[in-house]
Amino acid sequence: MIVILIVAACGPAPSESSPASAELGSEGEIVIAQGVDATTLDPNMHAETPTSNVNVQIYDSLLMRDAEGELQLSLAESYENIDDHTWEFRLRRGVTFHNGERFDAKSVKFTLDRILDPDNQSPQYSHISAISEVEIVDDYTIRMHTRDPFPTLPSQMVARQMVPAGYTGEHGGEHLARNPIGTGPYRFVSWTPDEEIRLRANEEYWRGMPTIRDVVFRVVPETSTRIAELQTGSVDIIVNVPPHQAETLEAGEGTAISRAPSSRAIFVGMVTTEPGPLTDRRVRQALNYGVDVDSIIENVLMGNGVPLAGQPVVDMHHGFSGSLDPYPHDPSRARELLADAGHPGGFSIAMDSPSGRYLMDRETAQAVAGQLEAIDVEVALNVQEWGVYVDKIMSRQLTELFLIGWGNATFDADATMYPWFRSGQQFCYFEDDALDAALDLARETMDMDVRQDRYIEIMQLLHEEAPWIFLHQQMDIYGISDRIEWNARPDELIHAYEARLRADD
Amino acid sequence: MTSYVARRGMHAMLILLGVSLVTFLLMHLTGDPVTLFMPLDASPEDIAVMRSAMGFDRPIMVQYLHFVGDALRGDFGQSLRHRQPALSLVVGRLPATMQLTVLALLLAVVAAVPLGVVSAARRGSGVSFAASLLGLLGQSMPVFWLGIVLILLFSVNLRWLPASGRGSIVHLIMPAVTIGTYSMAMLMRLMRATMMDVLSQDYIRTARAKGISERGVIFKHAMRNAAIPVITVMGLQLGTLLGGAVITETVFAWPGLGRLLIQGFHNRDMAVVQAAVFVMALMIVVANLLADLTYVLCDPRVRYG
Repeated sequence: MIVILIVAACGPAPSESSPASAELGSEGEIVIAQGVDATTLDPNMHAETPTSNVNVQIYDSLLMRDAEGELQLSLAESYENIDDHTWEFRLRRGVTFHNGERFDAKSVKFTLDRILDPDNQSPQYSHISAISEVEIVDDYTIRMHTRDPFPTLPSQMVARQMVPAGYTGEHGGEHLARNPIGTGPYRFVSWTPDEEIRLRANEEYWRGMPTIRDVVFRVVPETSTRIAELQTGSVDIIVNVPPHQAETLEAGEGTAISRAPSSRAIFVGMVTTEPGPLTDRRVRQALNYGVDVDSIIENVLMGNGVPLAGQPVVDMHHGFSGSLDPYPHDPSRARELLADAGHPGGFSIAMDSPSGRYLMDRETAQAVAGQLEAIDVEVALNVQEWGVYVDKIMSRQLTELFLIGWGNATFDADATMYPWFRSGQQFCYFEDDALDAALDLARETMDMDVRQDRYIEIMQLLHEEAPWIFLHQQMDIYGISDRIEWNARPDELIHAYEARLRADD
Repeated sequence: MTSYVARRGMHAMLILLGVSLVTFLLMHLTGDPVTLFMPLDASPEDIAVMRSAMGFDRPIMVQYLHFVGDALRGDFGQSLRHRQPALSLVVGRLPATMQLTVLALLLAVVAAVPLGVVSAARRGSGVSFAASLLGLLGQSMPVFWLGIVLILLFSVNLRWLPASGRGSIVHLIMPAVTIGTYSMAMLMRLMRATMMDVLSQDYIRTARAKGISERGVIFKHAMRNAAIPVITVMGLQLGTLLGGAVITETVFAWPGLGRLLIQGFHNRDMAVVQAAVFVMALMIVVANLLADLTYVLCDPRVRYG
């Protein structure tokens, strides 16, 4: 079956964009403070949000997400599904890199091929390793051939930023990493490692000249210091504001807060593939009834979270079911279910949690453990540093309960559902033959509406089976200065192109 | 003297080798650089492909021997995250850390020695009491806490100093004070204690009996003798200061070696951690050697053969 996706043309055409800014030119400066420095300005060789935040100013991708998280065209003019194993992208004409090099099909093939070559050790490799060949049809048409049907390929093209083939081929990736050249709204000026990165507006930008002329990324690792810098007016946007500080900044003079629910779901995973109480669905439901998610959001996150709707994905994901609700907090129902399952006096169980990886992760785990004690489930909590935790995850050494967060920036249910609920996958601790068949079918369905229907059935099943203790969707909290206008996005990225300086400044 | 330095040099080599082995093993025991590098949902096949491309599929001792062989030639390998030679990353951060620690040590010594001497010479005076209080506070305040309090006071409330970053000389003030306070307190207390000890010795009584002025007694006779333990501790303090730099650099966003090391550790970026630990260990070893050699200048009876 051939499905053709027609995507509405996005954004203003390059020539007729924002006439006001064209007359005035770009002006002013904003300073953005993050906790860690970018590691490389080669956009194909990292998988880190702080690094992406710098690279999104310098580079463009074939597709992008707007402020609502919707997929939009960027360097691609259109794209379609030729058959189950082929995607075709038509490219925007007249776009040049900052060094004058033309953007065309060669740039796309060069970029994707360098990610796909294992010798280049790109951490983005696994995102697109399903692509078997990138074929140049003509100067402005490119085809991607995949081994298996790959319906979510377009969302993978959002973070594959295009690099110039001639420049990178001539000077090498290491040179590009220090002297980046992209097609994006800002050109690279300088980088003082662990201090600051300076960028300057690209006045020939194809989407129109940026309104702000200079963008500076500063590295301020300590949260309290970042907040102090915002309060003293030295920086304009800070990331990762802790919930208990958000109110101070909201009330403070000259500062404000911008929040966005992220694509990250926080939950307690349950190992149901080993013998134990968790193999019984009633026990898993009881644990969901026993945890008071609203109270955790209210008291631990100070309101900075949204309860998961009794399913593993959130409403921004394709495949989310709007007809499911969170499990209510109902300890007596929980005790009934435990008694039915043969545990009238409760039981003891171990739980792992990382520390410092997610917003208030350790505190959340402690709250869950405390609440479960009220239904006679005795939790032995074991908190660990992230590096150690990742090792336990990958070697499947986690205890029966484990707190974890799952970010899914593809905005499609598959990237959560397949790794977590398809038997044999790395994160699968809940195995069910019918579920496996349903997930395989959904994965190979190219029609997005049909996929949506299939996932809704899957969500219903998972709601009843309760393979996780569904907690909350994490909220990203940014501190911003009153001199700028800027709104937090659901994809954790900061686009300086979307920021404005207030007129009265 | 030359053979003494050569012998100490050999010791230093062994120490550095030991430090590198322990670092290497601890890093490998506590986390896997490949899985931390790849997204969590990477398939086992993709991880295996990457592991072999990075050379982490070889036996651990083989990896270590390769590392030592390369390190002897000055090659500490490539940083996984920064994609640059690890040693050049470390050397690039060194000036910032040196600037901070040297200034902190200088501040500590300049404040500690006179305070220690005066409070020993004038026991029971107000100065002595103030010095004791300062010594107690300086050693009990956590570096981290002191840094944040200084920022709140001098940046947020008074707006006198920039909260963080590196640039002009004013950026240095708060980090240097933060990092040097502990060493200052420690050196001051030591100076005070040894001075008091020396001042109660027979030869001081003899000196006083001979009619030498109190000033002469303190500066010519007592201080020189009291200085030896203080110099030893100053050498050892460099280690404390470098340790403090890891925290202070984080609080004040100071672009130094400490932060590079912490970040490298979080990412299990083996090459960066090895190179940074090596350079820090080398600095401490050299500082201790220098402290030992300084004894010769202070005490004519000390001879190294």
